[in-house]
Amino acid sequence: MDVAGPAEESAIEAYGVGRRYRRGWALRDCSFRLPAGRICGLVGPNGAGKTTLMAIAANLLEPTDGTLTVFGEAPESVQAGRRTAFLAQEKPLFRRFTVAETLRLGRELNPGWDQRAAENVVRAGNVPMEARIGTLSGGQRTRVAFALAFGKRPDLLMLDEPMSDLDPLVRHELMGVLLAGAAEHGTTVLMSSHILSELEDVCDFLLVISAGGLRMAGDVDELRSAHLRLQGARSGADAGPAQGGAQGVPAELAGHTIVEYRTSGRQVTALIRPDGPVAGQWQTDTPNLEELLLSYLRCPDAPPLISPVAQVPGRAHGFDDSRASA
Amino acid sequence: MRNPTSNPTRTPTAGAHGAAPSPAATRAPRLSGLTWLVWRQHRAGFWTLLAATALSLAWIAYQRAGLVHHLTAEGWPGSSPDRWLEGMAPYSAALQKVAYGLGFIPVLLGVFLGAPLLAGDLENGTAKLVASQSVSPGRWLATKLGISALVVIVCTSALSAAFGWWWGPVRNESTVLGWSEGSAFDNTGPVPVALALFTLMGGVAIGMLLRRTLASMVVTFLFAVAVQVVWQYERLNLGQVVTVNTTKGVSTDAFPRLPHAALQIDQSYVSGSGETFGWSTCVHASSQQACLKKLDIVGWSVDYLPISQMSGMQWFGASVLLALTAAVTAFVFIRCRKRLV
Repeated sequence: MDVAGPAEESAIEAYGVGRRYRRGWALRDCSFRLPAGRICGLVGPNGAGKTTLMAIAANLLEPTDGTLTVFGEAPESVQAGRRTAFLAQEKPLFRRFTVAETLRLGRELNPGWDQRAAENVVRAGNVPMEARIGTLSGGQRTRVAFALAFGKRPDLLMLDEPMSDLDPLVRHELMGVLLAGAAEHGTTVLMSSHILSELEDVCDFLLVISAGGLRMAGDVDELRSAHLRLQGARSGADAGPAQGGAQGVPAELAGHTIVEYRTSGRQVTALIRPDGPVAGQWQTDTPNLEELLLSYLRCPDAPPLISPVAQVPGRAHGFDDSRASA
Repeated sequence: MRNPTSNPTRTPTAGAHGAAPSPAATRAPRLSGLTWLVWRQHRAGFWTLLAATALSLAWIAYQRAGLVHHLTAEGWPGSSPDRWLEGMAPYSAALQKVAYGLGFIPVLLGVFLGAPLLAGDLENGTAKLVASQSVSPGRWLATKLGISALVVIVCTSALSAAFGWWWGPVRNESTVLGWSEGSAFDNTGPVPVALALFTLMGGVAIGMLLRRTLASMVVTFLFAVAVQVVWQYERLNLGQVVTVNTTKGVSTDAFPRLPHAALQIDQSYVSGSGETFGWSTCVHASSQQACLKKLDIVGWSVDYLPISQMSGMQWFGASVLLALTAAVTAFVFIRCRKRLV
């Protein structure tokens, strides 16, 4: 169980970060901190702003609003540039380069390059070193791109949808390499995905964004234990047209924060952040990660939850101390 | 994975040299860092450019030898031009043809080197790849532009010098190739270098804005043609027109003698009070003599540009183009800071 004090180093600290494109805000008022050494899942539906957030941290985009620091430095600083690696979603590589030349690119441009680590990743997939990138399959290309990000030996490794075009076996292998490397070197990993199951087993930290806003941030166990999933039968008294949102919520739940309240037939399911003991005839359990995420994504009106370990100073967010200690 | 180099100082590991050096690396002088990357990425274009330049230089040298052979056979440089100008037609045609070809170089450089230089990386996402290594985008851009500009400068100045050397023996004979024509003016001295650099950087900026290789090549082509057209119109405005006035009437033999190889810009009648009249004045009068007398026409006024101004005009024009190039380059750098990918 991670009990993180505020003195712990932050890999990323964001203060009101926002980015506007011509179409509108892709990311708005995001404040959080990602403590160093965590494996963090960045989850959200398509178009939620995941890539934008990573691109800002990787110094590919300037935020329109707010500031973001990487290990306490601005993303454009030399230090931050050396300590972060970013694997973009489309895994760009020079198509005419051979695999060996691609690794040479990493070697030439990164002072901390670890050729052996990069070569091991490539060799494990039987990708020939002399092959041109353009002749490789999508999965092999992802592997080379992964090797390039990995060989940089970053302190913060950001992977945007890293596993989307890999078969389950390779996905498992690369994830193993990633986690072993991260554990050995204390690397912070920020990994985005819209597939929850991909992240469930590997992440110990979570950032959920949807529609450009931060919905949930914090330690996975802490987030889970802050919630209760309630199941029960609908009583006759409040048998009004109760659908979606917080409509028709029974009075006994009024003291708690309701994330989601759903009825199907006579069955009622609710996800709440309890504030004190829950009264009434409910079957309660701690939600798993997937249930938690789905509830937050389905109900954009639910108040965001930023756990204390994910909060940046001066930005209080919906997680007060009484709940944190629950 | 299992190597023990987890110390924070991160010395380059011995494994860094585990890969066999590629054949290209052993052949070429050993490049490193960004220089290696930029050369490797664009080496096909750079080598094509250098090879084409070498071929052109060889062709020019061969052609010049033929020209000089012809000239010396006719007693050049001692003899009068009238003698060796006879039979010049094939040599003059060769000069014209090569000059015509050289005139396309700025357009080709802009379209095939300038436009894809950044557009390709932005389109394929490789700009992101480079930006996420430990080098600043500014340095990457500077290396990319620097190497491209260097190759362009080397090639165009070599061609400019070679063409000037070929044309040199006959440069005072406007019947062979007039100095004020684009064929001579735009292919010698600093002008071809400046034109090539300007279209190159224009192409780079267009590629950066459009972020699509093909589209930016098309737009750069139009831009480069527009540059050529504007340059064509503005070329003669670079000089200081010299005016000569006569007072010996307007008969044909009273026409002033201009310096050799001077370019006549305009001619008109001039009256005793110094007023000028278009040379077609009085053409429709019943008696031209009476008409001219009535206007008190005393002689000719002729505007011309002497060949002595050619070099000054070329440097002036080139410096204007280079100033524009510098402005475009600054724009590219500023914009790159804002948004590279």
